[in-house]
Amino acid sequence: MKTWISVVWRVTLILSLVGVDVCVLKGGTTASTAATPPSTLSQAADEFKVLTRDLGIRPESPPNAQDHRGRKMLWHGRVYENFRNDILDAIPHEVRQNGESASPLRRNQFGFNIAGPVLIPHFLTNPNNTFFLLSYEGVRERIFRAQLLTVPTMQQRLGDYSQTVDSAGKILPIYDPALTTPNPAYDPTQAVSTTNLQYLRSQFPGNAIPSTRFSPVAVQALKLYPVPNTNIGPFFQNNYFINSAQTDDADGIIAKVDHPFRERHRVTSNTTVSSGFLSPSKYFPNDASPTSPDQHFSTLHSELDYVYTANSNTVNSASVALYSDVVESGGGLGAATPFPIYALSTYGPTGTALSSYVSMGTAYPMSRNARTTLALSDAWSTKKGKHSLHLSGHANFYQVNSFNPTYPSGYFQFTPDITSLPGIINTGDPFAGFLLGLPSAAERTVTTAPSYFRQAYQDFTVHDQYAARKSLSITANLTFSRRTPRRERYNRQSTVDPNLINPSNGLPGALAFAGRDGISRGLRSVNYDIDPSLSITWNPRGSTKTVVRASYSRLHSEIPIYNGQWATQGFNAHQTFTSPNTQLSPAIDLTAGIPPLGVTLPDLSPAAADNTFADYMNLNRAEPVTQSAAVSIEREIPFSIALSAGGNLTVGRDLLVGDGAVNPNAISPSNMSYGNNLYNYAFRSALQPYPQYTGFELYGLYPGGRSQRDAGYIRIEKRASFGLTFTAYYEFSKQLDDYSGPYGNQDLFNLRDNWSVSPESTPQQVQLSYVYEFPFGPNQPFLNLSGVGGALVRGWSLSGNAYWNDGTPLAPHPEFNHTGDVLPTLNVNYVPGVSPQVADPGPSEWYNPAAFAQPADFTAGNGSRTVASLLGPGYNSMDVSLGKRLPIGGERSFEFNATALDVMNHANWNYPDMMIGPASAPNVDAGRITGSHGGRVIQLGLKFSF
Amino acid sequence: MLRPYTLLLAILAAVSAMGTLPAHTETVSIPAWVEEGSCGPAPKFAATFNGKPAPVISPLGPGSDQVVLLVVDFTSDVSLVDAAKQSISAEIAKLPANIWVGLLSDQDGLHVLSDPSPNRQPLLDALTALAGTGKPGLLASVTPALSLGDSIMRKFPVRVSVLYITDSNIYNYREDYTNPVINGSDPHDLSRVFPDALIQDKISKLEEDVTSLEAPLFVVHLNYRGDTLNESYQNGLLTLADVTGGKGQVCRSVGEIPDAIAAAFTRISSAWRLTVGVPPKFHSNAQIHLSAPCGGEDARLSWRTRVRPKED
Repeated sequence: MKTWISVVWRVTLILSLVGVDVCVLKGGTTASTAATPPSTLSQAADEFKVLTRDLGIRPESPPNAQDHRGRKMLWHGRVYENFRNDILDAIPHEVRQNGESASPLRRNQFGFNIAGPVLIPHFLTNPNNTFFLLSYEGVRERIFRAQLLTVPTMQQRLGDYSQTVDSAGKILPIYDPALTTPNPAYDPTQAVSTTNLQYLRSQFPGNAIPSTRFSPVAVQALKLYPVPNTNIGPFFQNNYFINSAQTDDADGIIAKVDHPFRERHRVTSNTTVSSGFLSPSKYFPNDASPTSPDQHFSTLHSELDYVYTANSNTVNSASVALYSDVVESGGGLGAATPFPIYALSTYGPTGTALSSYVSMGTAYPMSRNARTTLALSDAWSTKKGKHSLHLSGHANFYQVNSFNPTYPSGYFQFTPDITSLPGIINTGDPFAGFLLGLPSAAERTVTTAPSYFRQAYQDFTVHDQYAARKSLSITANLTFSRRTPRRERYNRQSTVDPNLINPSNGLPGALAFAGRDGISRGLRSVNYDIDPSLSITWNPRGSTKTVVRASYSRLHSEIPIYNGQWATQGFNAHQTFTSPNTQLSPAIDLTAGIPPLGVTLPDLSPAAADNTFADYMNLNRAEPVTQSAAVSIEREIPFSIALSAGGNLTVGRDLLVGDGAVNPNAISPSNMSYGNNLYNYAFRSALQPYPQYTGFELYGLYPGGRSQRDAGYIRIEKRASFGLTFTAYYEFSKQLDDYSGPYGNQDLFNLRDNWSVSPESTPQQVQLSYVYEFPFGPNQPFLNLSGVGGALVRGWSLSGNAYWNDGTPLAPHPEFNHTGDVLPTLNVNYVPGVSPQVADPGPSEWYNPAAFAQPADFTAGNGSRTVASLLGPGYNSMDVSLGKRLPIGGERSFEFNATALDVMNHANWNYPDMMIGPASAPNVDAGRITGSHGGRVIQLGLKFSF
Repeated sequence: MLRPYTLLLAILAAVSAMGTLPAHTETVSIPAWVEEGSCGPAPKFAATFNGKPAPVISPLGPGSDQVVLLVVDFTSDVSLVDAAKQSISAEIAKLPANIWVGLLSDQDGLHVLSDPSPNRQPLLDALTALAGTGKPGLLASVTPALSLGDSIMRKFPVRVSVLYITDSNIYNYREDYTNPVINGSDPHDLSRVFPDALIQDKISKLEEDVTSLEAPLFVVHLNYRGDTLNESYQNGLLTLADVTGGKGQVCRSVGEIPDAIAAAFTRISSAWRLTVGVPPKFHSNAQIHLSAPCGGEDARLSWRTRVRPKED
């Protein structure tokens, strides 16, 4: 019956379309009253109507016409598994160099995706209407991670330093702090030296600390500290190799629904839900491991978009989105008491130890951070003559709930000073101080409750694209924005305000509390900004083969809310203990531990943060500002090749930096003339602008950095022909700034002196990406087989990425910083007339360490943070993916994929040792490279598509 | 000792024999263009089919009847869409009366906006009224659109071409070709190192689908996007057009749109439809070579070189 109706409809349609009058007679027959031969085009057009009617893509198509497509699947998707195992991989170079024969890996990534129309009988019957997509992916992974570290030797663990040497291989003397007396012959007008000692101190007999002097707490902690298991060197360094498992499990889904209705309206929802567990590889198999604690992740991203099409030239789209990310570590609130931190790799005032011993314990051992963003936006676009106008507005509301105690069980810092000969570098050892239980500093975080931070952002943008000529369009943009400062739900925020008088000493600098005493809830004021941008697109001489683009933009950025409870002092506390003189006495006795907090929280006194590392928030209106200008030219040339070349300049100011770059409480470098008196904490702190504070914690949120990046590039894009597509990209660039370390800034009073090439600046980089479809199989030039043969040889493709990057600038660093804590970091001195370059850089000598020198005591280095002309080893990797598609009929196919990263198993060198020792004890390893890293990694994937 | 090789040869011979199938189709149609040098309005074409001479039957030249199926896939920037609409209208106005254009849209599924007809006005009205919003549909609709053209070609002696004009963004499709990260906490995900794998799979699948369809595909993409996934997508569209003997272009600026659309219409209207006789037995995949002797030297031609004759 259905077929008969269809035939009648078809005949009727054809006759009516060719101009034949049709009438339906009683009895259901049809007759024509006139006929003229139709033209071929008319017939073709009629066929078009019939075919499109049968396809169900005409308005008048009968509802059952959709069924004509029924043989094809309405729903498409894929099921897949990606498999990794160490039997497929090369042994990582860093693992093989340590004598290991395997780095176990088990990884399975699996999932499915299905998409298609939502069909509900009698309700949603149009397959082109409501559409859904559902994806699931799961990961189960156990991967081993290799680390080469330094731990105290077996003899050192027994207090025996008779075999412990300095960086030059000479015995490192360990002195007994209990046997310290002032030197009656000391001449204060001369610098402290071995011939003019300020204090006399005896070396431990035999350079060994008696076990009776060991702190019981240290002895107990040592039970959890590993012993050496290798001897890579130099000397005793790099003596602990660990290749331990990291576990990573995750499950997530993406669900989308798209529904157009009443022609002009469309609603789309998109939701991603994911939960994961990450247990990082542990350095020690116990609670004292200094690695991050286990983390649980959960994510919910949900967005609802609505588009209203007013007419063909006017569209309005609105969206509301909710993003929620929760990370919980170590059990979060209510977790068991974690292991304290014993930091043994400290850069103390009189210098660093020969090596950095791996620490015990970890910061943020138990935390919970929940970040939620509600984003509302609306955009309206219209076209009027030569103008395309676009108006948009955004309103974002941020909420971060954070419980994030930094050192809930305490942090104990051990430096060489307490076991050194006071004032003499290259003496003493931090582990010796640990054995004796004599930390130079200690802290503990007391957190009473989570913090509930809020912040908001709104903007309104006017955007106009003006088609000045056919070959020239100009786009102008103006954004008005409003940013509120961070607020806390219960006003539990504070900061040091440099304009308040501290009642404890009558000096400027006291704690200010949000929402109290006329202070605003956000501590800072609301920012209003206007940011313009302008761009042009031009086809010179009307040539459509060539496009020139030029643009300029300025952008203010908000000061974000980081995870953590920074700037909540008074409601929470940082107990801070500082040694009166790190060379003479400890901050506290490790055995006695950190005493309880002496006040009850909240303590809303202006002096509540005195004698601590106080949280300091910049209270002026400064915000990060970035200005960018770019110009490029693109040209199509024969053989389907597009060439692009361009340059861009980006300048930033008031960029967010931390206390390694800026310190409002720094001591002027001119005070280094006080020499060894600076080791007296009371004397030194009196030189600080805010002596009531040990230091300031800026939390990486101080708007004080500047940067500039200049770059030029050439890009060649070969579009698909003969099965080959490739893109080659070459970039040369220079990036400079005054904040990025890598060890911090030497001069905190003259930031411009720290202007230098950034440590991450990569002067040249080349990237090649390609896809090649092998010309084998049916309909291909080679092996043009059919049947089984064709199925085997067709559908192979090869994709690849190859990278050749220059190394980044090296940063030689003095081994000792003997500046009495005035300079937080010290640059090297350049040795005049000696080039840092070597003729043939290699692992035995990458640079010439003789070009650099350790500055004299209490003087700043004359070198810069980084040396632009001295680059580290470059990076090279070739990644490929071989794919095979096997159609099995209809829309179904199997797809096999083998992906190899670093397919050539190329070893990339580690960076050389940058520590520059004093002339009396030069670092024998300076300039040398110890080892390499990397190795081929292979993943096999199988996918069934339908 | 020779046994393994003998066996291998036997397998290869068997596989090869399986590939040789009797023809179910007597002819195939390919598009061709005389790029340079012409011996008058009707050059004499000579063809080979898998290396063997094959007759060129009743060639249809640029002056013959033609149906253009214009599929618009407008989803984003109104300024680009407006420029495209103006150019399309201008080009359609220039077309001779024996080129009929049908207009289709592929947002939310392929559907007809205006039938091929000598009267251009309904098409222009529909085009003007068309809004540039929605979700792109090119990857889902290209095979049905080419099948439509193919069916008409097989039934009537007319030239048929399918022209897509699109500003589609691969990220905006209803289906998932971008393989977005689902588990952000997974630190060692290699499955997205080559993020365009899904796009390449889809294009490969479409290539196979369209090799047996005779209507050439032309694509004008209005908005070049330089990110990895969109580049792969745009390249895929050009590849698809190449496979069918058609041509694609991606505009890098608004200024290029009129010329690109004009070039597409010029190319379409100057196409030849050549029907080539198929030998009685042939590999199911055919390689066609074409020449047009023209005095002392051949005219420079371009044509669709490969086609898989449809099994009836």
